[in-house]
Amino acid sequence: MTNAGFAAETDLAIEARGLWRTFKGGVEAVRGIDLAVRRGEVFGFLGPNGAGKTTTVRMLCTLLPPTKGSATVAGVDVVSEADQVRRRIGVALQEIGLDPLQTGRELLELQCGLYGIRGADGRGRTAELLALVGLTEAAERRTKTYSGGMKRRLDLASSLVHSPEVLFLDEPTTGLDPASRITVWDEIRRINDAGATVFLTTQYLEEADKLCDRLAIIDAGQIVAEGTPEVLKAGLGADVVSIALDGADPDTTQRALDGLVGLERVVPEPGGLALYVSDGAGSIAEIVRRLHLNGLRVGAISVARPSLDDVFLQATGRRLEGATDQAAMEEAPA
Amino acid sequence: MNELFLLGRRAVIAVIRLPEATIPTLFIPLFFLAVNIGQVSETFPKSTPFLEGQGYVAFQIPVSLMFAVATATSGLALVTEIDNGYFDKLLVAPIRRSSIVLGRLAADLVQGIAGSTVVLLAGIAFGAHIEAGILGAIVIVLLSASFGVAYAGFGILIALKTRNVQTTQTSFLLFFPLLFLTPNFVPFERLTPLMETLARLNPVSYVIEGLRSLVIQGWDADKIGACVLVIVAMGALLTGLSLRAIARYDR
Repeated sequence: MTNAGFAAETDLAIEARGLWRTFKGGVEAVRGIDLAVRRGEVFGFLGPNGAGKTTTVRMLCTLLPPTKGSATVAGVDVVSEADQVRRRIGVALQEIGLDPLQTGRELLELQCGLYGIRGADGRGRTAELLALVGLTEAAERRTKTYSGGMKRRLDLASSLVHSPEVLFLDEPTTGLDPASRITVWDEIRRINDAGATVFLTTQYLEEADKLCDRLAIIDAGQIVAEGTPEVLKAGLGADVVSIALDGADPDTTQRALDGLVGLERVVPEPGGLALYVSDGAGSIAEIVRRLHLNGLRVGAISVARPSLDDVFLQATGRRLEGATDQAAMEEAPA
Repeated sequence: MNELFLLGRRAVIAVIRLPEATIPTLFIPLFFLAVNIGQVSETFPKSTPFLEGQGYVAFQIPVSLMFAVATATSGLALVTEIDNGYFDKLLVAPIRRSSIVLGRLAADLVQGIAGSTVVLLAGIAFGAHIEAGILGAIVIVLLSASFGVAYAGFGILIALKTRNVQTTQTSFLLFFPLLFLTPNFVPFERLTPLMETLARLNPVSYVIEGLRSLVIQGWDADKIGACVLVIVAMGALLTGLSLRAIARYDR
């Protein structure tokens, strides 16, 4: 191995090789994934429900042993040195793990105690974290009285008591209202700025796009694309013209557009067609003309730069589940 | 040790903060005590030989004590935390997994001491007196609470194995046959031969006999010894299986 190669390896906060998990009954949730997450980056793990995101996180957090393959977190093996891994990671799982009978302050002080931060140090760290996540005022209330956003922020704070090197966040904004999501995003940025590597699973495209330095897209237990959001989108190299068919026949529509200048490919999607063309805006007039000549009446036609959803579509042949939900959430009042 | 103290204290606080979970576990033994005495005390007056001059309430106190301490509280608390995700939070903390179970059992000990004290005082209020004296009463409370701790391992085991709230809740029902296949209403020798055989095979019988001896007869080393032996063996078995289950949880 070269020195450069060695330096690159020690730079990794998370490394997985051929990670595989089969559950009882033969369900293969994760099928041989490789990961290389550099120290200090926010790494996104994007995929629909059931893609294998949570199973991967549980393996990396030592909650679940891999069936095959290996992984290190903060340079430590997740199976043979699980206890060492647990000292170096913070975890906020999809299910918000709070004791409803404890107050916010009690929960954080207990968490401090479990990580060996005791007495005045524990109380000080608790006060610091409560202030960080904006829960000082609610600190003496039992957590069962907290809103979803407050619970998520407290859960996040509890994963930070020991200033972990690597923070795992499993769908940290699922189920939150838009305002709470933005608060959580701000926290993630702040945590990352403070030096922690963040491994973030999400099914929200905008979240991955805005927060992540790099990301991997997982589908059916396998990684289907990996890179920075910009590189992944640029890799499509074309504008996307979306046509809502509004009852028009997809095959006839597609035939009408055959030979369109700059058309790279056509991907059918529910209720429409996605045309990948080199100059989207410049092609609109010709698309409309061809549809008119063929007597085809369609709904809306729009042009956009490729999104991560287009990357997902390109890699898997379908749109990411939840993309519609997210659009609806974004339109909903805060 | 620190984590065991922290988790034990948390579990005790939870018991105090959730009285609606504890009160029913006290209502049932007190109800049984009152009903059994009301129904049977005419049949077994103080002159009945096996009562040795006491009222039937003295004979029934150990049965109510068993009802008071043999609960699925810990198992339910644990399976609820498995369900709501807090259990995972504890599993990823750098602590011994055993402290999660032992912390729960610490709360069972406290709850058992409180519950059996209430039942014993109720028995005394109904006219029983403790033949073994105040020290005997303390031993009764400690043995009952210890039995509660030993039995709690069963609920915890079910919680860890099934991860299902309903199953853990209904596991408590398994205690009823164990409690009723005993000399709970009359001594061994007054049971039918079949029932006597079954009762003599049932370890809970010896716990009841041991506690009863302290109430009615005073200090009987053989019966107390058998009672302690059963509690220790049951505790070692069920706690041991629970600790093994949590050590192997998702591994």
